[in-house]
Amino acid sequence: MIEVRGLHKSFGQLQVLKGVSLRLEHGKVLVIIGPSGSGKTTLLRCFNLLEIPDGGSLSIAGLELSFAGNVKLARKDILSLRQKSGMVFQSYNLFPHMTALGNVAEGQITVQKRSRKEAEKRGEVLLAKVGLSDKTGAYPHQLSGGQQQRVAIARAMAAEPEVLLFDEPTSALDPELVSEVLKVIRQLAAEGRTMIIVTHEMRFAADVADTLILMDQGVILEQGTPQQVLEQSENPRVRQFLNRIKGE
Amino acid sequence: MDDRKLQIFLDSLLPLLKAGVAYTIPLALISFILGLLLAVATALVRISAWRIPGLIARFYVWLIRGTPLLVQLFIIFYGLPAAGIVLDPFTAAVIGFTLSVGAYSSEIIRAAVLSVPKGQWEAAYSVGMTRVQALRRIIVPQAVRVSVPPLSNSFISLVKDTSLAAGITYVEMFRTAQQITATTYEPLLLYCEAALYYLLFCSVLSVVQSRLEKRFDRYSAG
Repeated sequence: MIEVRGLHKSFGQLQVLKGVSLRLEHGKVLVIIGPSGSGKTTLLRCFNLLEIPDGGSLSIAGLELSFAGNVKLARKDILSLRQKSGMVFQSYNLFPHMTALGNVAEGQITVQKRSRKEAEKRGEVLLAKVGLSDKTGAYPHQLSGGQQQRVAIARAMAAEPEVLLFDEPTSALDPELVSEVLKVIRQLAAEGRTMIIVTHEMRFAADVADTLILMDQGVILEQGTPQQVLEQSENPRVRQFLNRIKGE
Repeated sequence: MDDRKLQIFLDSLLPLLKAGVAYTIPLALISFILGLLLAVATALVRISAWRIPGLIARFYVWLIRGTPLLVQLFIIFYGLPAAGIVLDPFTAAVIGFTLSVGAYSSEIIRAAVLSVPKGQWEAAYSVGMTRVQALRRIIVPQAVRVSVPPLSNSFISLVKDTSLAAGITYVEMFRTAQQITATTYEPLLLYCEAALYYLLFCSVLSVVQSRLEKRFDRYSAG
C-alpha cells in the first residue's frame, strides 16, 4: 500500500503542493489529471524523491518517511525508497550509450548487484513483455519514440518496484505512436500492477484508472472513480476544467 | 640545396627523431596523463558543492590560465632553487606541463559533464543509483565522448608546447636542433627540420583523434 499525508512542496516562494493526502491499495491504478501547473508532476516526482517534500509523510510498502524542510533524509532511506518505485519520464531519458537491453540491465547490475547474465535474462523477459524482443541490441537513437518509451517502461520494472510512476508518458510522442505505449500500460494495469499515472489522455485515464484524482493549484480538487469525477462532480472548478478540455 | 646542406639535413634526421621519440613524446605523454588526473579531480571538485576545495580549484585554474607557460617553467626550474627546491629539468618540465594541462582540461571536463542533460541524472537516480554510481556509469561515459575532440586538441598543443622545455635546458627535440645548429650554423635548415617533425607527430595524433571520435560515435544519432 502507498500513502501520502499532508505533502507540502515549495520552490522558493512558489507553493506547488499545499497538503496533499491520498492512499492507493496494492494492485490498483491511480491516475492524476489537472491543468498544467497544478502540481501533478511534482506530486509524482515526490513518490521516488526526485523532489524532496518540505513537509508531510510518505509510505510505500512498509517504508515510512517523514519530511520537514530543515531535516535531511538519510541517504539509505532515499536509495531504498527509489528502488520501491520505478519512474517513466515524459522524455524517456534512456541511457544513450547503452543498448535497449543494457538500459534494462544497468540498474539491476549497479544497484541490485545481480550478475550481468541474470540481469540480461530478466531484461530480455521484460523487453518481450513490452513487445521489443527483436530490439534488445538496438541503441536508443535507432528506436522510434514509442519504442524508446517502451524500453523505459521495461527499465522502470527491472528492480521489481512496488509501484510504477508515469509522468505524462505519451506527451512527447508523435500521435501515431501514442497507442502502442498506452496498450502496454493498459496491459500492465490488467496484470494488477500498482501504478500512478499523470496524463492528459482523458479517454485512457477514464479506462485505466481505479481512482482518478483531479488536481489544481497544489491541492486535490476531486477524487473517486472515473465516473464519480468525470460525470458526477458538482465542484464548479472541476466542471470548468472538464469543459475546457472537452472544447479542445 | 648544395651537397653540404643536404648532408647536414640527412645527418640530423636520426638524432632529431631520436630526441623526439625518446624525450619529446614521453614528456608530453607523462604530463598529459598526470594532467588529466589533475583535471578530473579539479573538475569534480568544482562541480561538487564542496565550498573550500571548490575555491582552491578555482584559484588554481585562475592562476595557471592567467600566467604564461614559459614563465611558469622558469619559476619552477630557475626560481625554486632560491627557495631551496632544486629540480632536474625533466621533473620541472613535467610539473609545469601537468599543472597547465590540469587547469585547461579541467574546464573542458567540467563543461562536458555539465553538457549531459539533467534527465540522465534523474533516470540514474530513479533506478536507485547513488551520485557516484550515476557519475561513473551514466554521466562520465557520455561526457568522455563530448570531451574527446577538445582534449585531443589539448594534447596536440602540449606536444608543441614541450619545445618550451628547451628553455629550461631539457634536451628534447627542439633543444637538439639548437645544439646541431650551434655546430653547423644552419638555423633555417635545422629549425625547419624540427618543425617538420612536430608536423608529423601532430598529423599522426589527428588521425588517432578521428579514430577515437568514430569509436565513441557509435551510439550517437545521425
